Amino acid sequence: MEKYDVAIIGGGSAGLAALKQLSNLGKQAVLLEAGNKIGSKNVSGGILYSKRPKKGHVHNVEDVYGDIFLSEAPFERKITKYILHSTSKDKVYSIDLTAAHEYESNFGYSVLMNKLNGWFAEQAAESAQRFGGGIISGVRVNSIEWDEKNDRTIIRTDELEEFEVKAIIAADGVNSEVAQISGARPKFTPEQLYQGVKVVVKLPEDVINTRFNLIPDEGIAHLFAGDITLNHIGGGFLYTNKDTLSIGAVYHFDSLLANPTEPYTLVNSLLKNPMISEFIKDEVPTRGKIDKNLPQEEQIRNRFAITKLIKSWRELREAYLSQKGKNDLLKSGKYQSVDEIKEQLDSIHNQLTQKYDVSFVTDYVEVEYSAKLVPDGKRCRMLKPYNKNILFIGDAAGRGVFVGPRIEGLNIGIDDAFRAAEAVARALDKNNFDPNYLGEYYATSVDESPYTRDMKQIDKDYLKIFLDATKDIPSDIISTRYGAVLKLMSSDTFRSVAVKFANILGYERLLPMVESEDTYVKVPIEIAKRLGKTIQPTYTPSIPSIADRVAKLNFNDDNNSHIKVTNPQSEFLKKIITLCPTKCYSLENQQVMLQHEGCIECGTCSQETDWKHPRGEKGVVYQYG
Amino acid sequence: MSDLNVAIVIKLEPDFSEGNVSYNPDGTLNRAETKNTLGPHSAIAAHAAFYSKVMYDAKISIGTMGPPIADSSLQMAQRICDAEELHLYSDRIFAGADTLATAEVLKTGIEKMQGKIDIVFAGHRASDGETGQTGPQTAWKLGFTFLGNVIDYKVDLKERTVIAKRMVSLQGFNDIVEEIEAPLPVFISVDPAYKANFNTVLQRLSLEKYKKEAKIRSDNYKHYLKVFNAQQLGVDLKFVGLLGSPTIVYKVERIPKGKATRQAEILDGSNQEDLRKAVAKMKEALSAMVIK
Repeated sequence: MEKYDVAIIGGGSAGLAALKQLSNLGKQAVLLEAGNKIGSKNVSGGILYSKRPKKGHVHNVEDVYGDIFLSEAPFERKITKYILHSTSKDKVYSIDLTAAHEYESNFGYSVLMNKLNGWFAEQAAESAQRFGGGIISGVRVNSIEWDEKNDRTIIRTDELEEFEVKAIIAADGVNSEVAQISGARPKFTPEQLYQGVKVVVKLPEDVINTRFNLIPDEGIAHLFAGDITLNHIGGGFLYTNKDTLSIGAVYHFDSLLANPTEPYTLVNSLLKNPMISEFIKDEVPTRGKIDKNLPQEEQIRNRFAITKLIKSWRELREAYLSQKGKNDLLKSGKYQSVDEIKEQLDSIHNQLTQKYDVSFVTDYVEVEYSAKLVPDGKRCRMLKPYNKNILFIGDAAGRGVFVGPRIEGLNIGIDDAFRAAEAVARALDKNNFDPNYLGEYYATSVDESPYTRDMKQIDKDYLKIFLDATKDIPSDIISTRYGAVLKLMSSDTFRSVAVKFANILGYERLLPMVESEDTYVKVPIEIAKRLGKTIQPTYTPSIPSIADRVAKLNFNDDNNSHIKVTNPQSEFLKKIITLCPTKCYSLENQQVMLQHEGCIECGTCSQETDWKHPRGEKGVVYQYG
Repeated sequence: MSDLNVAIVIKLEPDFSEGNVSYNPDGTLNRAETKNTLGPHSAIAAHAAFYSKVMYDAKISIGTMGPPIADSSLQMAQRICDAEELHLYSDRIFAGADTLATAEVLKTGIEKMQGKIDIVFAGHRASDGETGQTGPQTAWKLGFTFLGNVIDYKVDLKERTVIAKRMVSLQGFNDIVEEIEAPLPVFISVDPAYKANFNTVLQRLSLEKYKKEAKIRSDNYKHYLKVFNAQQLGVDLKFVGLLGSPTIVYKVERIPKGKATRQAEILDGSNQEDLRKAVAKMKEALSAMVIK
């Protein structure tokens, strides 16, 4: 049997960081990823932060990958503005939270995980190769055997011959199967989770710069609360990427269960908000009706010609509306001047409108729909993030910092990965993988992380920044209960005492009050109504149906379902009929039926199903993530 | 020095995918406006050769005959299989070649490749020619054992044999898998159903290593590229190009539409009654099927 030092299960940003860091420490590790390509299963909001807390130390992405991260990694834009909007119909009131975004922060970049994880994987694989390790994709772990007699751990997968390892780092995400196989923790419950749904919208780089008033490579984050939530606890976001926008809705899963609303309805509610619909609008070619009187072959030739022209127009326009694209075109010698590119662009435009009956309308271009569960670190972080010789990191360990507008997950996974790599390297040096030596060391290290502190306590300095940003809002707007508290909180002395008291009392007890319908829905609506500016929509976006959205995704279909419904009468699953982001469930004769084709593996239904990740290479293949 | 030298013969073909292909008003292919790409079957042949690299550390050479722009197909194939050597046989004299004249050029080229070639891989057929003859004819000219429709193979380096699985039809049954052992050298035409299996961690890690090397090499493919004209290749001009092609195409006809033997009934998908009818028909058809 082949033998390796460490297996890392899961090739998301945390698993990859663990591989890279173990290689930095000169250790051999093999990373197993179920997707056919690294990044194909990853979804994030997302902003990747690098932090510098006043107390304690965290390990950042650049600590793992080096300065090359800053010069070469394909992140999208450096987020330099952070705005929270309260919405009510066509009214929007905006609060600048840039100071909160910059709090204890080196930087925050908007990212698309497919691209970025691809880069992380290149870096990590190159380092790992030097020590006889590397990355293997398209492989799903189905069991782990602890052969106590011979003191060895055997990993079995669907695709490869079994092999032996000394330690395991589990980075297989929020629906961690390793956690289930090893009995490290129960599945997360709805109270411990958020459900996030996201669409990626295409928009040329220069249009983004002008529309959002940005200089190249700088970006903005918009958060939304109020009536866009459709009365759920949570909110929406819009982040600018290089030439796309990430727009998503994230809600407490228990709040969704209490009053089920389709996830796509929630994201559509954002897209329909006039502020957002104005942000995403673009010039979109729309095909006319094909003349059915023409011979069939002629119809097909026309269709092909239109497809080809639209493709050329899109590609050329994308290049024309981006500084780099324009320069590349000129450098290639295809065009002598920018004017020449414009001429060609107009000529294709004319050909399409005049010869092929294509019209250009104001609409938006959605390129990907995705969903994921997000573990709420405040409620579900593993207090003992290890079991036997397995260390859990990132989402698999239930770690993330979500406090009002503070939304962090990726950086926490990377910090965990660094600590896990350190612990495993130490164990390898002493050849001691006893939980008391390996696991406990890691648990202590994670517990010392400032991120863990932020999952347990209110940070009064952060609170002050938030309160300062909202000080223009008259306190009578808010219900008397909150108004009085807010007023008191604006006093430095009172806030210090109150926060200290709250932290002693227990953060968890305060959460239901802080994360309530009042704070996410009612108060923002009231603020928008009273103080908001009116935004006039100039068009109605044509939002694709869920069937169209699923049809646009790539799948490696598997005849075998990776999910099994064990109780078709379950009340929970009856709600999942509404809450499944791709509508995989239906009710027939009072029985919940599953059709797994089109499943995007978010795990929303996992609580009461026999849920596994699809076999190696199978399932959804995200292009953006 | 590697124990195994393999070659791949490939072809640059029009990209028939929607958005890339262009047609003339008369319905013929507009070659100037249509993008070219590595033929899909050539790509499969490259994947099959790559298996030899990963498993046996084979040296790979790729050969193609075509215009100067056909070097892009060599680059694409190198990206798949991490080849050490790329051959482009390009000369105006080669134009108008049929399969036999092409086989003559390829054969001569293969004999000029580094190391004595043990296995030649070729695609099943081309997407723009579809005769599937160039491979077998090249094998015949080389004097190599020809193995067609190969879906899997292994090499016994000690015994110098190849053990291949072939997809054949036998007595009216399709999809019969035949296992065959042949002494090297062999010429393998790869079946579209070919899929390489790498099922140990070590094999997969080495696969990744070579994939990365392939990317680096193909980014600098010109460094590996040798271009031969007829003279440099040293072919007998009687056997190449139009002159060496016994095939005469005297007429091209459209494929006549086959007469349908089944009868169709058009049902309206938005009509409930029609949908019921469709379901009833499906049920009827299903109940007629006997599941053994």
